[in-house]
Amino acid sequence: MLKINKLSFNDFLTDIMRYNELVAPVKTDESRFEVIKDISRIQMDLHTYFPAKKFFFKKQQTLYAAENNRFTVPEMVTDKKQRVMIGLKRCDLNSIKRQDMMFMKETTDPYYAEERERTILIGHHCNQPFDDYCFCSSMDLGDFYDLMLYDKDDAYLVEIGSEKGRNFVDRYRKYFWDTDLFLRAEDRRIETKLQLNKRDISPYYYSPDWKKGVDICFSCAACVTLCPSCYCFDLHEEIDAKLCKSEMKRNWDSCQLHCFTKVAGGHIFRETREDRFKHRIYHQIQYFKDRHGMSLCTGCGRCIRGCPTRINFIQILNEMKEQT
Amino acid sequence: MPRTKTIRQEPEEKTENPYLPRPTKITMVRRESTDCFLIRTDLKSKYEPGQFFQVSIPGIGEAPISVASYSQDFLDLNVREVGNVTKHLAKLKRGDTLFIRGPYGKGYPMEKLFGKSIVLIGGGSGVAPLKGILTYVDKHKDSFGDVMIYFGFRTPDDILFKEEMKQWRRKYQLNISVDKNPKKARISCDVCFITNLVEKAKMNPENKVVFICGPPVMMKITIELLKNKGFKEEQIYISTERLMKCALGVCGHCMIHGKYTCLDGPVFRYDEISQDRND
Repeated sequence: MLKINKLSFNDFLTDIMRYNELVAPVKTDESRFEVIKDISRIQMDLHTYFPAKKFFFKKQQTLYAAENNRFTVPEMVTDKKQRVMIGLKRCDLNSIKRQDMMFMKETTDPYYAEERERTILIGHHCNQPFDDYCFCSSMDLGDFYDLMLYDKDDAYLVEIGSEKGRNFVDRYRKYFWDTDLFLRAEDRRIETKLQLNKRDISPYYYSPDWKKGVDICFSCAACVTLCPSCYCFDLHEEIDAKLCKSEMKRNWDSCQLHCFTKVAGGHIFRETREDRFKHRIYHQIQYFKDRHGMSLCTGCGRCIRGCPTRINFIQILNEMKEQT
Repeated sequence: MPRTKTIRQEPEEKTENPYLPRPTKITMVRRESTDCFLIRTDLKSKYEPGQFFQVSIPGIGEAPISVASYSQDFLDLNVREVGNVTKHLAKLKRGDTLFIRGPYGKGYPMEKLFGKSIVLIGGGSGVAPLKGILTYVDKHKDSFGDVMIYFGFRTPDDILFKEEMKQWRRKYQLNISVDKNPKKARISCDVCFITNLVEKAKMNPENKVVFICGPPVMMKITIELLKNKGFKEEQIYISTERLMKCALGVCGHCMIHGKYTCLDGPVFRYDEISQDRND
């Protein structure tokens, strides 16, 4: 087993920063992942309010520009620095795995893949759930990381999860020490207070209990914006003032918004708030699982934490009784 | 831990950008009705009836359009002017460049249906994808049984593919209806909903498959009527409408209860989605 001493951890980060782009959780107005210029701002045990997905799946991405019927793809610079992301929690890492499945499995999205390939993911294990909204221990999360750090008193124990991670350790070998310490099963585990107690939510679609959430939902889409796994997007064209050059842009979009399913002629398929509310939760918990074998939701609790009315959909689901 | 030699992985070969459209030349534009027109492009690639293409005009946007032909030499797209992109498509002329990407989605599984008799039921611009089936049947004459056609339009002016209709009338059992005839034009078709014609028709469900494409209400009623006639859900194929944005099964706009219209559809065998609520 390898470890990094906490005393030399700052030197380690400074060394990383010298040749790489370092991204880590920091406290700002809220907490978020940011490119680090000053390592004293890093708070490793912070479970950020905003997810890390914007580094791969960007809020806005120009897919191509068109001028005189000629298309150009924005330069994908090849000599960009390697990016080291540190302090990702197990829920964040699993969300990245789910986004990888969407953007790099069936059809490779070059914009996403480019960002993803230059990034090394270094996780940080939560010894305690961050707050009462976390429910990751009921979501069957797997191991997905290049390196994982486990906080153990005066050192971080290091687990290597990929070839990329192994190469990284080789490069910074002087900070890694061999140790007799080892990880027990309970060191890897985490018990959250909130738990989803249903394996299959399909029998509950017509339950009247959905009203508890729907009635206080604003359809504001904060849940989707804060979700580290949500990947839906919109494509639209923007044209410059001279009407010569246009750009195809990709933006984050949300199934909670009324116009999301609008088709030509004005028909909206998910017209009611209830339909949209249920669609998100069924997509998160059921549809994705049916298709890919794992739920899209990773139990980070951000959608509940960030909801203006704190709709706790896990509690709502837990209390639901089967309709006959 | 022993030091391992750093293995540099060769970067994978750059795959084609799935979002980039490719240019095609428009070889023909034909006005079909007041708001519909047919664009023929010189696209030489394989596609199936029922699939769709993302048609784009730089600066305006992209729209999914279903194919209305079956050929390896050209591609017909029937467009109805309802939105921003389609209104601009109407301005294109012969010789202009049309940008498309595709084909996407699952088409009608024609090869699996060899030996069956075919019933086509279409409403309005929903007739377009069914036109592809008729061309397919023409090319594989001996593989299919009888063909019955039920096409409904709003008014006589809205009737599409008048040219082709003449041929179809000769070869197949063609039934056309218009919802109303406001100009009192002389017409040789019924003035009623297409569902009324389907209701009246004598159809033996045995060895038949039905393809339906049209407005949601019309499809819903037609399916009920067919079930009353003894058709099973497995015999019915419907074509669903959603606004596909990426067409790659990612963006989520076309999702119907966990199924992506752009990957799993737009053609569904009815029993695959009959359990799903319509939203």
